[in-house]
Amino acid sequence: MNRLFTAIGFLLLCLCMALTTASQAQLIAGTTPEIFKQFSEHVVKIEVVETSSAAKASTGTGFAADNSGRIVTNYHVISKLVHSPERYRIDVIDVAGGTTVGTVLGVDVVYDLAILRTQRQPKGHLVFESNPVAQGTRLYSLGHPRDLGLSIVEGTHNGLLKHTLYPKVHFTGSLNPGMSGGPTLTQDGKVVGINVATEGNQISFLVPAERAVALLDKTAKGEMRPSASFLADVGRQIHDNQSRYLAGMFEAKTPRVALAPYDLPTKPAEFFRCWADAVRRKELPYVSVTHDCSTDDYIFVSSDQSSGIVRFYHQLLSTGELNPARFFTLYSAQLQGGNAAMFGNEEEVTSFRCQTRNVATAHGKLKGVLCARQYIKLPALYDAVFRVATLGSRNAGLVSTLSLSGVSFDNVQALSRRYMESIKWQR
Amino acid sequence: MAALGYIEILDGKGGVSERIAVDGFPITVGRAYGNQVILADPFVCPRHLKIVQDEQGRLLASDLDSINGFYAASDKERIAQLQLESGSQFRIGHTTLRYVSVDHPLAPTLVEGAVKVLPLASPFAAVISGVILVLLLCLDAYLSSIERVTVANIIGETWVTVSMLATWAGMWALASRIVVSRFNFARHVTIACLALLAISALGVVAEWSEFFLPWIPILWIAGVFGYGLVLAGMVFGHLGAASFLRRRSRLWTAAAISLVVVGTSAISDFAARSKFSTVMEYTGVVKPIDAALVPANSVEDFVTGSEKLKKELDALTKKAKALQ
Repeated sequence: MNRLFTAIGFLLLCLCMALTTASQAQLIAGTTPEIFKQFSEHVVKIEVVETSSAAKASTGTGFAADNSGRIVTNYHVISKLVHSPERYRIDVIDVAGGTTVGTVLGVDVVYDLAILRTQRQPKGHLVFESNPVAQGTRLYSLGHPRDLGLSIVEGTHNGLLKHTLYPKVHFTGSLNPGMSGGPTLTQDGKVVGINVATEGNQISFLVPAERAVALLDKTAKGEMRPSASFLADVGRQIHDNQSRYLAGMFEAKTPRVALAPYDLPTKPAEFFRCWADAVRRKELPYVSVTHDCSTDDYIFVSSDQSSGIVRFYHQLLSTGELNPARFFTLYSAQLQGGNAAMFGNEEEVTSFRCQTRNVATAHGKLKGVLCARQYIKLPALYDAVFRVATLGSRNAGLVSTLSLSGVSFDNVQALSRRYMESIKWQR
Repeated sequence: MAALGYIEILDGKGGVSERIAVDGFPITVGRAYGNQVILADPFVCPRHLKIVQDEQGRLLASDLDSINGFYAASDKERIAQLQLESGSQFRIGHTTLRYVSVDHPLAPTLVEGAVKVLPLASPFAAVISGVILVLLLCLDAYLSSIERVTVANIIGETWVTVSMLATWAGMWALASRIVVSRFNFARHVTIACLALLAISALGVVAEWSEFFLPWIPILWIAGVFGYGLVLAGMVFGHLGAASFLRRRSRLWTAAAISLVVVGTSAISDFAARSKFSTVMEYTGVVKPIDAALVPANSVEDFVTGSEKLKKELDALTKKAKALQ
């Protein structure tokens, strides 16, 4: 049916050469002003409003995805409502300034997407690109950067990112806060991705269109659910997603790096980035060699919480100059030095609790510290920091730290165990 | 006229702080200037006590209907009259008095050099404990430095502690001068040095114990109770040199002060622990020692032991949910 309508629209356009309000007229190969003119009416501004003060708490962009009033946006745009439905409401504002209240139909926290519904019948909607898009294709991103009004940003498609936890389109163009949830279109107006993040300097990211299509399919029935119930979805999705990226991490297949006399895990998966460095300054009587691996990516859970970040950090300390007592003052300080604060607020996470033990692994003895905190609103998810310091040597030592965010306690235990066992050294 | 005897005003430790010659009876004791023995004690009545000699030559002290009464030696029972012998002690107001006759027997004369001064009180002890402490502080400054150290660094750090200690002992010495009329500086220095030495020793023992037995919060226990105990000992010692308080009162005072300090730090620690924080609080002490000597859990124990951590977090979550 859609194709039929499109064809009719096309014919009408060709024949009449007149302006049309055709709802799905994606066929004009346009210049930027034309694209803006033609498609901007399907783009809406989304404001999350704090109900008691009637002031907006966050803003973003969304777009009409079908005729029934369903709107696609980012989960992170509306996450405040998901976390505290009693305190917020969503206002959906169209180009003409008309405001309707939006309700949540579904969320995909892993891909940072949300589907909303408004009661207003849309004038039309955008359609998704189903064919592969070549690198270098010109793209047009629509959104409300910093609440300055609807804007169009040109850029180029630079393929799917290979080193991320989740597939993302690399968009070379300037996305800015407030444009999140907005559509990025091809020249003929098809949505290739949903604006989601930026690293500055024109490095921006889009959620691939097929993820939005999948979530739209899931919410096709459009059953109304209380807003409070979506937090459970968020928790479940994070739980389900863990097994995907944590399975096998630090097991036998994990690559190794030699920091003599240590043999240590490195880059467990493609989506990790690892860096190494050494501090050998003349004024310091010791040498510190570091190896740091981290997932670049994360799942936005709330403004203070994220999941999916895995970071590990090896620090090899050695000295030819300090006597054992002084070296161990340094070593103890490094082991305790990471008592650094992490993000988090009282409503969402508990304080940390820690366990310190001397542990004998197959490779030697080490001091192990496991600190964890629990998410309060999301069931059975934890942030954890596991740190070890190897024992036995008098002038060298390794402090190694693994941080996990938003994982189950089973995974905290499993990863701690595997991490501890993956640290090998010659005595 | 030659004196018949003396009324001695005693300090808290039984030492004579003033001696008034008595050359005839009756005499009166009180705050008023018409008395033979004038006391500057606000709890003493203008005319408080009268001492008369009866026909048999006995001396009788009688209360002149005073407000705060008349007491024999350290008795708590108020008396109206007391027969005085040479050496009898009695109390009016806050003043302890003693009557001695001129022929009161004396203790033998002490031979110079043969007297044993309380070891703590000798300047020698102050010097020795001071030197040990300075050496220890220098060693500590050296061992706890992880950068290249110079003599100036070490002396600088030590100097700060030493000058703080000297100020502390000096303040106690001033207090001593005011209360007991003697500075007792050496004794205060010794006490302060011993207390600091005890604290360092406690710190070293606690760190090593924490290293070997990380499941017991030894550093915390030492931090709260150990230091409280040292503080009590120090206060007890200082008060001994700076007041007339009896042993028992000093013990009580020291215990009370240290209890307040320990209590406050325990409460503030508890409050800090119950307050939300994003900081991981743990002690990770490592020591240079052969790993074979370190008692260790198996990996399995470590992992299963973390169930306790989970339970703690569950309880915290429950509490947080209840509050929301």
